[in-house]
Order: sequence, then structure tokens, then C-alpha cells
Amino acid sequence: MSKFNSMLENKIMPIAGKMAGQRHLQALRDGIVLTMPLIIIGSVFLILSNLPIPGYNDFMAGIFGKEWAAKMAYPVGATFDIMALLACFGIAYRLAEKYGVDALSAGAISLAAFLLATPYKVSFLPSGAKEAILVDGGIPTALMGSKGLFVAMIVAILSTEIYRWFIQKDIVIKMPDGVPPAVGKSFAALIPGFTVIAFIWILRLLVEQTHFGSLHNIVGELLGKPLGVLGGSLGGTLVAELVIMLMWSCGLHGANIVGGIMAPIWYGAMDENRIAFANHEALPNIFTQQFFDIWINIGGSGATLALVVAMILKARSQQMKQLGKLGIGPALFNINEPIIFGLPMVMNPMMLIPFIITPLVTVVATYIAMSTGLVAKPAGIAVPWTMPPIISGYLATGGKLSGAVMQAINIGISVCIYYPFFRMWDKQKFAEENGIQSTVEEVPSDTQKDIV
Amino acid sequence: MNILLCCAAGMSTSLLVTKMEKSAQDQSTEYKIWAVPGESVRNHIDQADVLLLGPQVRYLLPQLKKLGEEKGVPVDVINPVHYGTCNGEQVLKFAVQLVSK
Repeated sequence: MSKFNSMLENKIMPIAGKMAGQRHLQALRDGIVLTMPLIIIGSVFLILSNLPIPGYNDFMAGIFGKEWAAKMAYPVGATFDIMALLACFGIAYRLAEKYGVDALSAGAISLAAFLLATPYKVSFLPSGAKEAILVDGGIPTALMGSKGLFVAMIVAILSTEIYRWFIQKDIVIKMPDGVPPAVGKSFAALIPGFTVIAFIWILRLLVEQTHFGSLHNIVGELLGKPLGVLGGSLGGTLVAELVIMLMWSCGLHGANIVGGIMAPIWYGAMDENRIAFANHEALPNIFTQQFFDIWINIGGSGATLALVVAMILKARSQQMKQLGKLGIGPALFNINEPIIFGLPMVMNPMMLIPFIITPLVTVVATYIAMSTGLVAKPAGIAVPWTMPPIISGYLATGGKLSGAVMQAINIGISVCIYYPFFRMWDKQKFAEENGIQSTVEEVPSDTQKDIV
Repeated sequence: MNILLCCAAGMSTSLLVTKMEKSAQDQSTEYKIWAVPGESVRNHIDQADVLLLGPQVRYLLPQLKKLGEEKGVPVDVINPVHYGTCNGEQVLKFAVQLVSK
């Protein structure tokens, strides 16, 4: 194995293995996924209320009345505004599942704990008044959405840890035989559930004595801000992208592994943009979940669509031609495992160079284009990552052509970076097929066995 | 025979499922082959005779192997080359081998 490969194998694999096997990170990632379908549904309504077609506004107002846009926003709110609630339940559920304890009870308890951590105060602007007043007795929707995401994550993990500790130590109320299991389960949750609620309650009482006032404020200051800087800056993003690509280089699903850490940041940024977009204000963030799904991973991680197209149009070796045909269908929907394992990209020193460099270059290019205002920023619309390119760029920017153009430019960039490497690889395969002694260093086929 | 596949989102493995079904049609054995995301394996493993992992989620192997041992289901990672080239025939063979072991 070459030096490069053994470096990957020895340095990256253990980190990847640890991160991927870490059950809290797994639960975070899997739990937040629960919000995705709803956010995509909400996005459809968000797009419909902002279609950039001349006369559309008047047309809709003619049918549904002047307030049509506000009505269209109902489902948008109902899906985006409960992101933290859903994530809290989802994370607790997935974590409890990994511990093999009753997931439903753990989810329910952490949901209550999350609400307990949240002050029921809503700032309310009476119609006609100039200054908002603080009203008691309402659940603040802002904190149930992306703004509450970090508290939801912490509470979900904390409460589930307490819950499973009690269950695993068997400190529970036991029902005699003959009591239905469902009833027994709810009694089993009593002692751990009580402890969780009491713990968060005391925590809240303590926090209320400080100048922070609420757990949400503490977490926002101490965790949200620094992480937001990391996820929102070009440097931090490039590091995250590099880690993702290095994991993929070992054949591991990098985005899925890093997702536990970055997803809350990128989803939070997405929601900030969504709110600004709905209010027709300037969009605050560039790096959102969609930035990567739509503009960077065109054809899958590593932007391999360009490579697949090159394989179809220019390959001389049978192997590359066949793989191109096999890979183009999924690639249009941003799925590229056939290429990653079939070419293969994995542990292939030659092809890994463009594989890692391309997304880093397109991150920088897209960032520059968006920060200078040449290209519209992602509007907080969650277009599914399987949406084919060009369409997806148009939709994710809320109907701006520049979003689609930027995708085309990124495909162009990836063609330029991939093409020379593709030619070398194809030449080598062609030579192998035709029995010509290749001058390029062979990648022995048994390296494939090593990585399993 | 019931063959369960899993990867990150259950997407790329579902490509393989169609290929495996095609190659299964030629054999007289009854096969049920389906793909799920990694986090749903727990809910599906009871119906499976064998569980195969996409190579990109092979970090799940220790965890899922443990689960498989509890349920008496053999678990292993699909050969990356077979996976990448969507070689349904080879993967099917691999699955049958695991079960008959």
C-alpha cells in the first residue's frame, strides 16, 4: 500500500470509527433527521408563497384574498417552528434505542424536560402599539424552532442519560405479574422521569438567579455563538468539508459522520435565512445545509457528476464506459456510491486528489460568488438533497436563476479538475484491458480486500 | 430467504436491491430483498435471515454484529468492488454463503 493510503488508513480510520461509533453523536444525527421530511414539506409552501412569476401575487390575491401569503405561511410555521421539539424527541428516542431502553418513554420525558427548560414568556406586540410587551403563559414558538435546537439537544441527551441510568440500575417501580406491559412501562418511567424533571427544574431555578435568565440564553452564549462562528466562517467550513472528504476517501460516509456536529449549526443557519426570506429581508447566512447539498455535492460527495459525464463521453476503457453508464442515473440524483466503490475512488491515490480538491474549490468559489452578491444565497428552502442539479439551485434560492448558473459553473470547475486525472486512470485501465504494460503505478486489486 | 441491506439513507443500497432481485429471479429459491437506513435496522432485523452493510457504513459493523448475534442473524459488509459495480449476482452469492455458514 502506498504511503498516502497507509496515512489515510492509520490516521483517518480510527478518528472516523470513534466519531461514527459515538452513540451521542449518532443519536444527534439520527434524531435531527426526524425534522427533515417536515421541513421539506414546509419548504414547498415557502416556495409557493414566493414564486418569482410576474402577476402571480395578484393572481393568488384574486383567488384567496389579500392575506393569501400569510395563510400560505401557516404550514411553513407549523413545520419549521417545531424543529427543536421534534429534534428533542427524536434524539432522546434514538439514544434510548441504542441503550436498549424504552425509547418512547425517554422521548416523552425529554420533551417535557425541554419545555421545562423554556420560560413560557412571549413578547407580544398588540396591534397599534409601538413597543412589545412580555406576556406570560405562552409557549414561545421561536424557541421551539431552530433557536432552541441546542438546548433541545442537550436536554435530550441529559434526560435520556438519567433515564437509562435508572432503568439499567433497575431502580424502578415494579408491577406484579399480570399487569399489562404497557401499564408496567409507564410505571417504570416514573422514578427516572421524576428525577429528570426535578433536575431540570432545579437547574432552571439556579439559572434564573443569574443574569442569563434562562437556559436558552446560557447555551446560546456559550455554545451557539462559538459553534456558529465555526460553522459560519469559510475557514471552519473548509475544515469540515476536508474532514468529510478524507472520511469518504477511506470509503466511509463522511457527511453522515460529521453530521452529528455540523447539522445543528447548518440547520440553524438555514432557518435564519428562511425567516429573513419570508420577511423579504437580506439573507444572513451562506453556509447552510443546502449550501452543501445543492452547490457542492453535485452528483454526490466529491462532486462526481462531472466525472461520470466524462466517463460516458470520453472513456476508452470498457470498464470506465460501463461504470459511467451504471453511475449516471444515480449521479443525477446525487448518489455516487457506484463511482466511489466501483471506480474505485476509495484508497485510490490518483483519483483521491481531485476527489478532495474539487469540493474545497467549489466551496470557495460559491462562497465568493454569494458573498459578493453575484449569486443569490440559499433562501432557507430545504430542497431534498436528491433533487437533480440546475433545478435544485433555482429552487433553493427561491427562484433565482443565479443559483442554477452557479451550479453549472461548479460543474464546469469540477470537469476541469477531474478531467486530467480521469484521463490518466482511463489510459491505465485501457492498457490493462488490452494487455499493454502500463507505466503508471498499478493499484493492486487486493488493496480492496484490505479496506473491508 | 430474507436479505436485509443497510446504508446511510437506504438509497444506494436500493440500487443494489433491484440488481439482486434480477439475479434472484433466475434461481428457484424465494427471496425477499430490501434496503433500509442504518438507524432503522433494529426494526427490520427480526424479519431478516441475513444483514448486509454497504461499505460506507462499515463503522456500524461492531454495533450491528452484536445486534445480529442476539437475533441469530449473520451480519457482514459487502465487498466494495461488488457494491460499486452493483454486482447483484456476487452479493446474492455472498448473502447465501453467510446464511449457510
